[in-house]
Amino acid sequence: MRVYLEFAKKSFQNSIVYRMDYFAGVINAIVMILVNIYIWKAIYEEEAAIEGVQFKIIVTYIIISFLMQMVYMMDEYFIENKVRSGLISMDMLKPIHFRWYVFSYNIGTVVFRLLLQFTPAIIVSIFLFNLLGPFSVLYFSYFLLSAVLGYLVLYNLNFIVWISSFWFYWTFSLVTIKDAAVMILSGAMIPLWFMPEWLVDFIKLTPFDAIFYIPIRVYLGMVPEQEILSALFRQVMWIFILFLIGQLLWKAATKKLVVQGG
Amino acid sequence: MAFIEVHDLVKEYKVNIRNKGLIGSIKSLLIPEYTMKSAVDGINFTIEEGETVGFIGPNGAGKSTTVKMLTGILVPTSGSITIGGLSPYKDRKLNTAKLGVVFGQRSQLWWDLPVIDTFDLLKYIYKIPENIHKSNIEHFSEILGLDEFIKQPVRQLSLGQRMRAEIAASLLHNPEIIFFDEPTIGLDVVAKEKIREFVKFINKERNTTMLFTTHDMVDIEKTCDRMIIIDHGKKIYDGTVEEIKDTYGGNRILSVEFGQNYENILMSGLELIEEKGNKKHFKFAKDDFQVSYLIQKLSQQYEILDITVQEPEIDGIIREIYQGGIKLNESLSGVC
Amino acid sequence: MNLFIIFYQYSKLSLKTMLEYKFDRTFITLAIFFREMISVVVMFLILTRFLHIKDWQLFELFFLYSFLFLSYSLFIFLFAGIRDFDHMIHSGEFDRFLTRPLGLMFQIVASRVDYPATLGHGIVGIILFMFTASNVGIDWNIQNIIYYIIALIGGAIIQASIFMISASFSFWTIRVENLRNLIFFNSRRIAGYPISFYPSIIQKILIFVIPFAFVNYFPAQYYLGKEDIELFWGGYMYLTPFVGIIMFFIVYLFWKMGVRSYSSSGNSMY
Repeated sequence: MRVYLEFAKKSFQNSIVYRMDYFAGVINAIVMILVNIYIWKAIYEEEAAIEGVQFKIIVTYIIISFLMQMVYMMDEYFIENKVRSGLISMDMLKPIHFRWYVFSYNIGTVVFRLLLQFTPAIIVSIFLFNLLGPFSVLYFSYFLLSAVLGYLVLYNLNFIVWISSFWFYWTFSLVTIKDAAVMILSGAMIPLWFMPEWLVDFIKLTPFDAIFYIPIRVYLGMVPEQEILSALFRQVMWIFILFLIGQLLWKAATKKLVVQGG
Repeated sequence: MAFIEVHDLVKEYKVNIRNKGLIGSIKSLLIPEYTMKSAVDGINFTIEEGETVGFIGPNGAGKSTTVKMLTGILVPTSGSITIGGLSPYKDRKLNTAKLGVVFGQRSQLWWDLPVIDTFDLLKYIYKIPENIHKSNIEHFSEILGLDEFIKQPVRQLSLGQRMRAEIAASLLHNPEIIFFDEPTIGLDVVAKEKIREFVKFINKERNTTMLFTTHDMVDIEKTCDRMIIIDHGKKIYDGTVEEIKDTYGGNRILSVEFGQNYENILMSGLELIEEKGNKKHFKFAKDDFQVSYLIQKLSQQYEILDITVQEPEIDGIIREIYQGGIKLNESLSGVC
Repeated sequence: MNLFIIFYQYSKLSLKTMLEYKFDRTFITLAIFFREMISVVVMFLILTRFLHIKDWQLFELFFLYSFLFLSYSLFIFLFAGIRDFDHMIHSGEFDRFLTRPLGLMFQIVASRVDYPATLGHGIVGIILFMFTASNVGIDWNIQNIIYYIIALIGGAIIQASIFMISASFSFWTIRVENLRNLIFFNSRRIAGYPISFYPSIIQKILIFVIPFAFVNYFPAQYYLGKEDIELFWGGYMYLTPFVGIIMFFIVYLFWKMGVRSYSSSGNSMY
């Protein structure tokens, strides 16, 4: 356990070194929030509902979404770099579980983002953009839980893409296409309730809405209390399924590594 | 007027005292703080057409800076350079048309494409007439054995093959002068030899002027008529390789650290060439005296703490010169 | 004429390189296409629900957006070398250019063609243009066609100038690549929607500081003539090519300064 804590710490310190990425993360999030708020303002202007509930809700939705996206940013090429440089075989020789190692590395990054990126960004959002508070204290704790689960869904989905570097070598294309799918289908850019029904029906069959859409709806209090458990369960189910797929691929990848010697 | 004339060449660098970070670097840009440092400090030489000259010197001695000024990459602080009557930086485009440059560590070949593709591109860049381009490629292929790999992507070539292609690429436009910057770095002995032979051959065949910078003294010995040693931005030797070798190669240097500072050490066969307190360097002819005999004689008369005998190879001689172990003998014709 | 031939030869080799990795580069092109489609799809989803934003219909917004993609595609096709200039300095490729009998800017520009980015952005742009060109009430007479092409070139030059500022910094070995990306891509994001949606400070920045408004909003308004153009001086609609030329000229002077500084200091002491 200790050793994984060390990995997380190392990744935290690593993040501090890349100062420009740090600023870029915060500024990108704020610009995206800003752009979207003005678009929605323009949309609602004519309906004279600018001060209305709908506008406030959508603004809050956007802010929470982009802040979550910022915190959930992961190093997409961590495994690819290890595979290409051959360092992966070194890691396999160490008495650690590689999957836990990768995970702890990402946790370190999350902690960094929460402390140093999320904090300034949320302060700006509260003062500049009139962020609505959570629906209730109870719902806020549900939200925290759901947000953690959302992270795990995304993490396990990403892991599947990352592990494909054992076969593809370069994963830029796959990662980018995956990102595009997540951006649109998870409700990260626009709430699912504005989407056509057929699309929503399709999304319900995928893990995407479990990443951002469910947690944000919980925050906004849009999930009735009796449905919260099933929403959380849906997230857990997807974590489980994606984890299993990742595990299968991981087994195949290690086999490949052993057979081909890296 | 010689083909290449260099007069009082000086290159001073402003060395920025740079502050760290983005704000720091912007600040340094707006309010630059700097000190001057001279990398080349008043160098003169002339080179005739068809000469092969090696520039050597320790890292940071100023040889790369000199070569960069000759190729027009850098502008001198003062002094003048003319190559065939042209200034390398004022007449950059005219001058570079007659110039070939081989960087041992930087390829000009397209990494993912066959060698022949780069050759084709160079035809257009240097406006090489079709028939010359073709006959040159045929000719170089023959001597360098390019045929076996000319259709392979560069990334698949061995370093030796790549270097051969690299040199051929720099010669396609029949340059009057060619610079080799570490042309044999990283190559094995056989590949090095092949390259040296080719370079020598081209020099004989086309009377191309050739300038080298290298750390490999064997390159200089085998390919250059002349060598220019640069140290601390100054030229300290300009003459033949043979002369240095004859002077120091037949002789060995005996460096002795004595227990005390003896005034006059007289012994037949030993000639004092330098002394620094208790440490004295002697020259002796290896054919006339045996080391063991000299050491025995010395230790009978004086208290000796340490004693070393220097190797006779040119490599060792040059290294000693850099390290200040040997002061070049004033009587050598090339000493500046 | 000779320069055209050399440019063509360079692009041929770039294309050959791309074909060496057909599979990989096709995927990269596809990935860039999907990445750029995100914002288009989001716009589409919003508009299928709300039909219009302020006075702007879906086709009009897409037409506005098409300028961004087409001019970026053109910029990358012609000037990818300026984008990658930092790298050329650090790898010593620029020193090689100095030893060749050709202009420096020409070699930088000619030596790089990024086909995946050109195509990835270009295809999005073409799709948007095809969908909208006949639906937004534009009479495609000669004059309009010519101005469209000029506006695209002007937009490409404006973007090239922004990249050239950061390229010039690398002569002093200052790396501003990340900062440039931050400023460039965020401005581009903002410019995706009509600048009249934004508060006046953002409008002013996009007109006077990072003139993205001239890449898409003003040329699009030349064709669409939406009401919100009244917020701005009407002459802006014709200025894109001039803004491009003037900006490029100023940036070119800065660049020249950089070259001079580089040739007196090099990329390292020795």
